[in-house]
Amino acid sequence: MNTSAQPPKRRSYRSSRIIQSILIHAILLLFVFIALFPIYLMFNAALKTSAELFQSFLSLPKDPQWKNFGFILNEQGYKGALYNSMILSTSSMILTTVISVLAGYGFAVYRFVGKQWLFLLVLTGLMVSETSVLIPVYQLLQDLGLLNTYAGMILPQAALGLTFGVFLMTTFFKDIPRALIDAAVVDGGSDLQVLRYVIMPLARPAIMSLALIEFMWAWNSFFFPLVIATKQWLMPMSVRIIDFMGRFTFKYDMIATTTVILFTPILILYLITQRSFHRGITFGALKD
Amino acid sequence: MPRFNIRPYIFIAPALIYLAVWIFYPILNAFVLSFFDSPTGRSRDYFWVGLGNYTKLLQDDLFLKSLYHNILWVLLSIAIPVVLGLLLAVVLSGRGRTRLVYASIYFIPQTVAAVCAAIVWRWIYDPSIGPLNHMLEAIGLTGRPWLADESIVLIAVNMIGSWSYYGFCVLIFMAGLQNISPELYDAAKIDGAGALQRFLYVTIPLLRNAITFVLVYTIIGSMKFFDLIFVATNGGPNEASTVVGLRIYWHSMREGRFNYAATMSTILTVVILVLSVVVIRQIVTEEGD
Repeated sequence: MNTSAQPPKRRSYRSSRIIQSILIHAILLLFVFIALFPIYLMFNAALKTSAELFQSFLSLPKDPQWKNFGFILNEQGYKGALYNSMILSTSSMILTTVISVLAGYGFAVYRFVGKQWLFLLVLTGLMVSETSVLIPVYQLLQDLGLLNTYAGMILPQAALGLTFGVFLMTTFFKDIPRALIDAAVVDGGSDLQVLRYVIMPLARPAIMSLALIEFMWAWNSFFFPLVIATKQWLMPMSVRIIDFMGRFTFKYDMIATTTVILFTPILILYLITQRSFHRGITFGALKD
Repeated sequence: MPRFNIRPYIFIAPALIYLAVWIFYPILNAFVLSFFDSPTGRSRDYFWVGLGNYTKLLQDDLFLKSLYHNILWVLLSIAIPVVLGLLLAVVLSGRGRTRLVYASIYFIPQTVAAVCAAIVWRWIYDPSIGPLNHMLEAIGLTGRPWLADESIVLIAVNMIGSWSYYGFCVLIFMAGLQNISPELYDAAKIDGAGALQRFLYVTIPLLRNAITFVLVYTIIGSMKFFDLIFVATNGGPNEASTVVGLRIYWHSMREGRFNYAATMSTILTVVILVLSVVVIRQIVTEEGD
């Protein structure tokens, strides 16, 4: 149990330990470099002129071109795309989170006929991808007249994260001590009161995690918006980037600026709320 | 037996109805569509072709090639980011707070949209101005046109995917390792197990849940991915990096052959389902031994 009572280390053993430790640190740092280098390139390229970029990708910008951002947002009309991304991500985040919390409550608190079967049914949704459902979803939106509308973009996007949401909420709510819920019920609390005053305060970190992850997924989503929003005024940022690549095939600096605009909000969100992200992502993997 | 209670059903109904409309109905509908064809793509022009689309698909070299690329992608993603993630997590697990810092940094690429990752890596791979070839030439190696060479393009693109994925794997495995009691390692040490033996006989079996999750998640992600390849190469050069997702997009959105594309979707769903079930069963039966 107690590891403090180890025998004194011999000298050669110790020096080989030091070499080993240096080696391990070198490897760990190598992967830090691998993770961050492309991101450095992205920011670096966004602040350079085209001419400077062609001289060297790696060197820092001599005269940072902050005006690139203004040019993209205002003159190229990317402000609208940013707004669309915001609408898409916020709406699908709210939709998924609310539905998931309700379903999580149902699955975690109650025992009912067909529960296991229904939960399994929800889980099979994890195996479904955009590419598997593209055609029927597209035709359904067409029939409903929802192609090239916000609703048409948001509704199927929210469905993609819903299985994960229901699963995450159910597992989290199950961890809440049963006695707390029973006590509230004995006191005459209704379902919504139990959810509001017992579950929600205790599960706030979990709900936060879910909301953040769903927001990121929707923000970075590409396939559905590409197919559903073909009008430029509706395109979110992730799709407009492509449109830009066609028009300025070799305008690396402009494309870089657009990628930075798309990435920065998520990066900031991640840096502030890392623990929430990590919690949400690891929790689902380890409970079953 | 509890008395029948309507309330739980009311709470789960929104989720079930939502999934039914946007996930389950489309899956079944794609299956139904695969037995029809239509000259216009409109539903009123459908006519029954039975297994016609399936026999056509089996002779469609481009589709078979794309499916093969997806399978290859599964293997590459297991061989590189998953294994790497596991090793890094094991190395990190012995550390205190610094492991969280490392893991947080490794995870950052996962937050970069696949579209952005593809764009940035296109520069890195650029044969004339990209930094990768510059670095290789600096140490005396010759650069290559990574994304324009048919023989290596798929691996080159997979490196982009691996870049964004290994941090995710580190995080999952690290969390899994936390649940393993250190006493087990001490016991193994006392029994004379070396580092490799401890890894194989203590770490791996106890990480079973995390490993299952990551493998299934990797399979699903590898079969369905689209954004990355669409932006990085669009399947080129000469379809050497095409994948099923691209074929579905191409046939439906560009050519209007919705039924043919729906057939591909159905096959994709079945392949994902079968592979996932095989992995889960494999690992569950091992547990029974």
